[in-house]
Amino acid sequence: MTSAQHSPTRTAVPRIAVPAWAWALALLALFALYLVAQDNGAVLASAGDVAHEFFHDARHSLGMPCH
Amino acid sequence: MAATLEEPRQQTAPRFGPLLGRFALAGLAGGAASGIWAMVVTERTITPALALEEARTAASHEHSEELFSRHTQLLGGFLGTVIAAVVFSVVVAAVFAGVRHRLPGRSDVGRVAVLAAIGFAVFALLPAIKIPANPPAVGDPDTIDTRTAIYIAVLGAGVVTALLVGALVGTLRSRGLHPSAVATAAVLATVALVTAMVLLVPDSPDSISADVPAAVVWDFRLASLGQLAVLWTTLGLTAGYLVDKLARRA
Ligand SMILES: [Zn+2]
Repeated sequence: MTSAQHSPTRTAVPRIAVPAWAWALALLALFALYLVAQDNGAVLASAGDVAHEFFHDARHSLGMPCH
Repeated sequence: MAATLEEPRQQTAPRFGPLLGRFALAGLAGGAASGIWAMVVTERTITPALALEEARTAASHEHSEELFSRHTQLLGGFLGTVIAAVVFSVVVAAVFAGVRHRLPGRSDVGRVAVLAAIGFAVFALLPAIKIPANPPAVGDPDTIDTRTAIYIAVLGAGVVTALLVGALVGTLRSRGLHPSAVATAAVLATVALVTAMVLLVPDSPDSISADVPAAVVWDFRLASLGQLAVLWTTLGLTAGYLVDKLARRA
């Protein structure tokens, strides 16, 4: 069975080589977002409170649970 | 097998670095557009909730010290939205690079749009169904951990749903099913999985207290959903345009 049988007109889209650091960066970015938006001082202690208050509107308006 | 090998390579894949740059730029654009929406539209729906909160503290004779002025918080709301959009765009860039050859669509504009629509569904629509956004003064601070757990469970269920439906579509397509049959199967599977999520994940423990008018809550929820829609639409269209140009150059 060749794929050409099912899709005679479609040219194959080549794969993109995704480096491992891409996934590490994605995870790091999500963790950073967690610190900025979600942390209630669990990781950042008092600095987290300041970040929480500063980004408070974004936290609510992006639909993240808050007070 | 020989046929595939002899197929002329008409395109080369774009490299990940430049691709990430295009997505990050689109994230900035989506964040800026969404941040402007936050300041112009969402802010108007937060004000009544804040007034309510102030009336409550005044009634209880407590003095609550605010860390930041309202203006600073507005700026924080804008910046926080931009940061979130850039984070989303970095994640979408990695996912897009990993699945681009399997996404439907004849151009990268279409492929990126599919992924952005999934992103909006997972990060905006699903939470809106299960644990909708609330303005300040509505949530119970004591239940924040439970509500956060529910929120993360909903996002996780959304990601799993997207993966499962994606795998199903891939399998059915490789078996040569008619596209309309594949689409029907995808819709049915999505409905079934979302229903399962709604039934299995516990509801928010909060009830909205009687002194909060329903309009205050609903105006805010609509504004919040609109803000996320602006974010994902701008991110998706900008990234689609930029990535398409990049791929044609490659
Ligand atoms: Zn709050």
